[in-house]
Amino acid sequence: MELYEYSAHELSKMLSEKKCSSEELTKSVLDRAAATDEKVGAYLTVCAEEALKKAREVDEKRAKETLHPLAGIPIGIKDNISTKGLLTTCASKMLYNYVPPFDAFVMKKVNAADMVVTGKLNMDEFAMGSSTENSYFKKTHNPHNLDCVPGGSSGGSAAAVAAGSAVISLGSDTGGSIRMPASYCGVVGLKPTYGSVSRYGLVAFASSLDQIGPFGRNVTDTAMLYGVICGHDNMDATSADREYPDFTALLNSDVKGLKIGIPEEYYGDGVDNSVKETVMNAVKELEKQGAQIVNISLPSTGYALNAYYIISSAEASSNLARFDGVKYGYRTENYDSLIDMYEKTRSEGFGDEVKRRIMLGTFVLSSGFFDAYYKKAKLVAIEIVKEFNAAFEKCDVIATPATPATAFKLGENIGDPTKMYAADICTVTVNIAGLPAISVPCGRVNNMPVGLQFIGRKFSEQTLLNAALAVENNYGEAKPVNV
Amino acid sequence: MSIDVKHLAKLARLRIEDDKLAKFEKDMESIVAMVEQLPEVSGDASGLDPEHPMKLREDVEGTTEALGTDKLTRSELLANAPKMQAGCVVVPKTVE
Amino acid sequence: MEYETIVGLEVHAELNTKTKIYCNCKNAFGLEVNTQICPICTGMPGTLPTLNEKVVEYAVKMGHATNCSINNVCKQDRKNYFYPDLPKAYQISQADIPLCENGYVEIMMNGEEKRIGITRIHIEEDAGKMLHNDAFQGSLVDFNRCGVPLIEIVSEPDMRSSAEAKAYLDTLKSILQYIDISDCKMQEGSIRCDVNVSVRPKGSTEFGKRVEMKNVNSFSGAMRAIDYEANRQIEALERGEEIYQETRRWDDQKGMNILLRSKEDAQDYRYFPEPDLTTIYMPLERVEELKNSLPELPNAKIKRYVKELGLSQVDAELIAENLPRCRLFDECIKLGGCTAKNVSNWVLADVSKYMNETGKDIADSNLTAEKLVKIITLIESGKISNNSGKIIFEEIIQNNADIDKVIEEKGLVQISDDSAIEKLVNEVMAANQKSVDDYRGGKTNALGFLVGQCMKASKGQANPAKCKELVLKYLNG
Repeated sequence: MELYEYSAHELSKMLSEKKCSSEELTKSVLDRAAATDEKVGAYLTVCAEEALKKAREVDEKRAKETLHPLAGIPIGIKDNISTKGLLTTCASKMLYNYVPPFDAFVMKKVNAADMVVTGKLNMDEFAMGSSTENSYFKKTHNPHNLDCVPGGSSGGSAAAVAAGSAVISLGSDTGGSIRMPASYCGVVGLKPTYGSVSRYGLVAFASSLDQIGPFGRNVTDTAMLYGVICGHDNMDATSADREYPDFTALLNSDVKGLKIGIPEEYYGDGVDNSVKETVMNAVKELEKQGAQIVNISLPSTGYALNAYYIISSAEASSNLARFDGVKYGYRTENYDSLIDMYEKTRSEGFGDEVKRRIMLGTFVLSSGFFDAYYKKAKLVAIEIVKEFNAAFEKCDVIATPATPATAFKLGENIGDPTKMYAADICTVTVNIAGLPAISVPCGRVNNMPVGLQFIGRKFSEQTLLNAALAVENNYGEAKPVNV
Repeated sequence: MSIDVKHLAKLARLRIEDDKLAKFEKDMESIVAMVEQLPEVSGDASGLDPEHPMKLREDVEGTTEALGTDKLTRSELLANAPKMQAGCVVVPKTVE
Repeated sequence: MEYETIVGLEVHAELNTKTKIYCNCKNAFGLEVNTQICPICTGMPGTLPTLNEKVVEYAVKMGHATNCSINNVCKQDRKNYFYPDLPKAYQISQADIPLCENGYVEIMMNGEEKRIGITRIHIEEDAGKMLHNDAFQGSLVDFNRCGVPLIEIVSEPDMRSSAEAKAYLDTLKSILQYIDISDCKMQEGSIRCDVNVSVRPKGSTEFGKRVEMKNVNSFSGAMRAIDYEANRQIEALERGEEIYQETRRWDDQKGMNILLRSKEDAQDYRYFPEPDLTTIYMPLERVEELKNSLPELPNAKIKRYVKELGLSQVDAELIAENLPRCRLFDECIKLGGCTAKNVSNWVLADVSKYMNETGKDIADSNLTAEKLVKIITLIESGKISNNSGKIIFEEIIQNNADIDKVIEEKGLVQISDDSAIEKLVNEVMAANQKSVDDYRGGKTNALGFLVGQCMKASKGQANPAKCKELVLKYLNG
């Protein structure tokens, strides 16, 4: 067995017992990336030299002191997370040459834990999309079937972990951008509670919805990485000031007495029947192990997608206005005035999907339309929060499909934005309500992975990780896919 | 609902080429048709939450450690600027 | 037809906090370009704002000082527009819920009090600076000023002339200085204003179309801009033209304005709540605490000076309008021992002259309230002459001299003793018999000459009043 095939928690033990070095492990992962990435296309930037240098440093440091459990373990980073001195493009022509002069909060945490960054991972441009087809640079392919998309927007993060070209990775989730690709690629992805991971250094898409989260091939790895990145940050005014437990130490797959809510709205017409069945089978397994199934209702779910696209696009139209060719990134070559420079730079620098969202956001905020769109969407969001609160009176976690179907083919939805948007139907409510949710593999449909999504109360990540571990115990941990 | 794509593009400092305009209009109209289906809910949408107020920053200079900011030089901070002169970012001439 | 000018003002004042509003960069003026910047105030991707608590406190203080109600639960909003000096392409400001609203200030116009309504006061960030040079093709951007904290004070359209606008601006400025939240340095642009002007036929109650003027950089410039714009509108109306709601740019050098934006081009700022910041909340006890922490404000001071200290309205205003002056005055009054009128005279004459000539604050000089009171007390008691007082004042300013020593060394003790002066007068009269005869013959202006000769003979040490009294006694005796 090659080193890249092991999970992070296995490697942690092997490294501390000196059964392998971080340098060997990093080399194995880099070799795997070199062997697979031509087909998978998960990486935008591979930093082999820096990674090997860091790995050697960690090996030396380990000889002298006890290190963090994830020290020396290779990690891939979504390309919208600022990495000091390392290209951070957001998969956009607009930032094709942008090198941040500072590290994101999560990168400081990752570096403090002595993890080894192997590179930056592909995504939909500025995290807008559900297939990673909106990347300016390349398309990422689903390692389970190269004709299929890996999901999006964190497609590179999910595909790298699935293919073994990263042991673990970081992504970001604004409307499902971690859970959907995790589901499509058959790995575990956690979207943390809003405010539990600092957004400082995450290039903003929709500030009130964005959250950074971990990917792993199993629940334990995911829990370990989440433990590294969560925590209060006084640079982020929306960061929660609270203490977090040792999630990994507290992992427990005993589901006896766990009340699992099943909301009928997530099992409706828009969701593929075999996906529904697969997810329900996984839930029924837990019932056999002592969990209780409770039927609940979240009536505003049908409006969530609309509210989501209004709020996220409104914020995006403002967040992406700073890309104007003045301070960083792309500037058009020829221009004859300031306005000309702005318009050409932004038209040439952004892809069509980004332009659509900017225009939608501009529209819903514009004079005369604000109340009918933005304000209404905010009121729907408040309703959604209330309904979740009521539901959590009756259950501990809510189980739903993470996606309405398994991964679709590349190019299949690209001509029809609204059809593409519908892929987010199971995930957006969670971002609107600021809740945590996890996607864990629970079987296959047509030989493609299906993800079960557990949604929990705010800051109930431990409960979600435990429930996901119970599912994982029934289906087995994911291993790198043969590509 | 018909969407004035040209007006929106102007507000957003985008330029949609004429050959793409029809497609953008069609897309925008179908997207707006989708998202505008919202129920009539009344209430306060301001999102004010005095129970969970924001923690404000102390007015203290140079607590860079505590705030986690890096001390960066001008050239590091503006290293990404497409055009520089005399320590400043250069843009086309402005009047206002 | 007679017209009435209607003026409303939007005043932006930079706050003198130590750090910027959303990052801990130094809040300072005049430093080398792009040196007071960080990833946050230059709008680097992924950066986030954190709100400076002093900014909220300062704005609440200003709210109290202008009789506003305080919205102790409020939020911030984004104002979206593109310009190179605005790195995020939005300004974090406040839209529907300002920190303070519905207040007023009182201004003095021709000895009468007039109330000017304050619509709102909100907090926001300043933009950077564009630098232009004719020799250079493009424009340069200096981001140092990005994120300097501002309060915007919006008035009601309550002013009826440029003079009222000037009085309002002066009042705001002195309040800002009294509560010490802004440096108010016009030349550094720490107070700027946008001017809204409309005109209407006198007697009409409806407002005319309002024109907004940008780029007004001084209070005197504001007066010129208002007068120019009111005239422009009146002339247009007289020609039968219509006034349009538009934005014009004031050019103070040319003394005229030009059209910047018509109403059709009005910018759509697409305000929405700033998602990177959450609820601003100040407990009511703190709101009250800040109210109680306010010093006596200019208007209250003026009233007290006139009513309790018997100063003239003009003198009271002159003292109150300048903070260092009125600090010194108040201290002197507190020490007591001399009359308010004399303190006022000294503060407005010699002290002001010194401050104007040197550009220095009296607090940075050798003069203290104790010393000034001692000088005035010595004069009032007749121990020294007014002239000697001025000499001592100079000695203090120049050499930080000890008052008693100066009097001794320069022999400044005034002769007030009747018999001593009488002796002196007798001698001088005897030596100037011709002038004595002239006076007695009806040429009364000889009196001045004779008193002068007495003073001269005393080497300036005789009490002039006493001297004159005794000369008269001799002549008429």
